[in-house]
Amino acid sequence: MNAAVEVENLVKVYKGGVRAVDGISFSIKEREIFGFLGPNGAGKSTTIKCVIGLLRPTSGTIRVLGADVRRDPGVVKRSIGYAAQETAVDDRLTGWENLYLQGRFYHLSRAEIRRRGEEVLKLFGLWERRNDTADTYSGGMLKRLDIACALIHRPKILFLDEPTLGLDVQTRKTIWEYIEALRAEHEMTIFLTTHYMEEADVLSDRVAIIDRGRIVALDRPGALKAAIGGDLITVRFSSGDGLEPVLAALRDLPGVREVKLAPDGIYRIVVERDGDRLIPRIVRLAGEHGIGIHSIRLKRPTLDDVYLHYTGREIREAEGSREEHIRTRVMSWRIRR
Amino acid sequence: MTFLSDIWYVAWRELVKFFRSKVRVTVTLIQPLLWLGLMGNVLQGFAKAPYVQWMLGTKSYLAFMTPGIILMTVLFGGVFSGISIIWDRRIGYLEKMMAAPISRGAIPLGKMLAAAIQGGIQVLIIVLIATALGVRFAAGPAGVLLIILIAMVFSTILSGFSLAMAVRIKTQETLMALVNFLTMPLMFTSNALFPRAAMPSWLSAIARVNPVTHAVAPIRELTLHGWNWGAMYIGIAVIVGLALGMALFAQWMFHRATVE
Ligand SMILES: Nc1ncnc2c1ncn2[C@@H]1O[C@H](COP(=O)(O)OP(=O)(O)OP(=O)(O)O)[C@@H](O)[C@H]1O
Ligand SMILES: [Mg+2]
Repeated sequence: MNAAVEVENLVKVYKGGVRAVDGISFSIKEREIFGFLGPNGAGKSTTIKCVIGLLRPTSGTIRVLGADVRRDPGVVKRSIGYAAQETAVDDRLTGWENLYLQGRFYHLSRAEIRRRGEEVLKLFGLWERRNDTADTYSGGMLKRLDIACALIHRPKILFLDEPTLGLDVQTRKTIWEYIEALRAEHEMTIFLTTHYMEEADVLSDRVAIIDRGRIVALDRPGALKAAIGGDLITVRFSSGDGLEPVLAALRDLPGVREVKLAPDGIYRIVVERDGDRLIPRIVRLAGEHGIGIHSIRLKRPTLDDVYLHYTGREIREAEGSREEHIRTRVMSWRIRR
Repeated sequence: MTFLSDIWYVAWRELVKFFRSKVRVTVTLIQPLLWLGLMGNVLQGFAKAPYVQWMLGTKSYLAFMTPGIILMTVLFGGVFSGISIIWDRRIGYLEKMMAAPISRGAIPLGKMLAAAIQGGIQVLIIVLIATALGVRFAAGPAGVLLIILIAMVFSTILSGFSLAMAVRIKTQETLMALVNFLTMPLMFTSNALFPRAAMPSWLSAIARVNPVTHAVAPIRELTLHGWNWGAMYIGIAVIVGLALGMALFAQWMFHRATVE
């Protein structure tokens, strides 16, 4: 299979001296959904902007569908769609006008825009509202319109920078469905960034974890989670006596890696996967041995756990390094402007 | 071809928004009415004196000031181009346009075109109102057309300037302040509203080189006296030259700022 995107040793140092991307290499296969997972300021947006030719990399090479972004920006731009992190919809225009304009910027004919526009607006559930100005749209509708705009010219690769940032769970799930439909029906390659573990997990074929401008891990989501220790089930039994036979039986359950007692009197059971399916069996086992269960919880690996594992620290420690402090200030300064 | 289409659709967006905004359209209609109706009438008293008529070159102060009002209107209108690009940068629309395969130069040029078209419409309205108030344009309908054209070209000087500045100045307030800081004196050190003959000599010297004065010359000639190329060509050449220069300057600033 061909590579849709190939990035080698990408470095981007901003004018102020911030090293936003610090030597990143990866390649995205055709028809793959590739997730870029990382906390604020990790360098996700910067990477995307370099790849699509909005920013000039400090060093490194980038090829999109075989074309060099610096040398043939036109070729690259025509074959990709981009929905930025900040929803870029002109809210004084109607949904249709936004889409129409975008089509014109990609040099489509009126007929093409009409045909294609109807298709994407229907796909994104915006067709009925197309003649309302966008200032009457909800946040989720705006985001959907923005993504629809990025699709008007049938791009081969779609770049979505935090497509569900700030949306409620329901809307987020809807957008996931659209993204999956795009890949399934239009064979699109999709590069998306997020800082929601679940999003990367549900959507991506492969995930790169990026932190401080470097990729710290890159694999299928399942493999990443397995690597940080799988699911964790915590059990508090009604009484502390006569547990030995139950514990022995628990250790024999398939998928259980270890069972250990924490100082707080709660037992921690580390399982490889599908911890939810094990819960009924644990309850049944305890019942068979005549032991009552006070409470039982399932803890799935979170972004924090993954981070903790790969970087040896929480996503954002309160007392950041000096560099981090500067980064944050640059960020907030940028937002204020 | 695609370059022209890019320019047009950048402008199209501005125009759709302009006509959609009832406030802006209303202001566009009422402002010249206020200027001409109020100021023209108040100051008409002056023009009764033969000495003043000699300075104005006409018996009607209204006819004298109409070219001034035309230029003032397009002068202030040009500021909005810069503001719109600052706004576009803030909402991420600028980036969206640049991620598309349009030529970068089309963005400032499209905004300048939009400002020119808006300006042209405003000038037409001013001409109509002035006519209703009794001003007779000596050069006839073709002359009015040329007046509109000159005003449109003139407006690109200002929109080009505000666009070029907007590349550097990233807040609307600062841009407004800077542009007003320049447009006000530009207006009042020209002969747009007062004849140079009535000015102290130092002011008259400034007015002589002021681009607004150069733009006023052909428009006033067409309004008061008719087709007299001898009195118009310098003004037209200066305005066209400045407009081209500004267009290039805005493009250059824009290129420099967007290639990071
Ligand atoms: N235009 C800029 N000038 C200077 N520094 C910048 C600029 N844009 C981003 N940075 C810095 O580069 C670093 C990476 O920023 P980037 O926007 O790529 O992060 P991100 O992973 O997209 O974060 P987020 O999740 O907050 O969107 C940050 O420290 C940021 O302050
Ligand atoms: Mg980002």
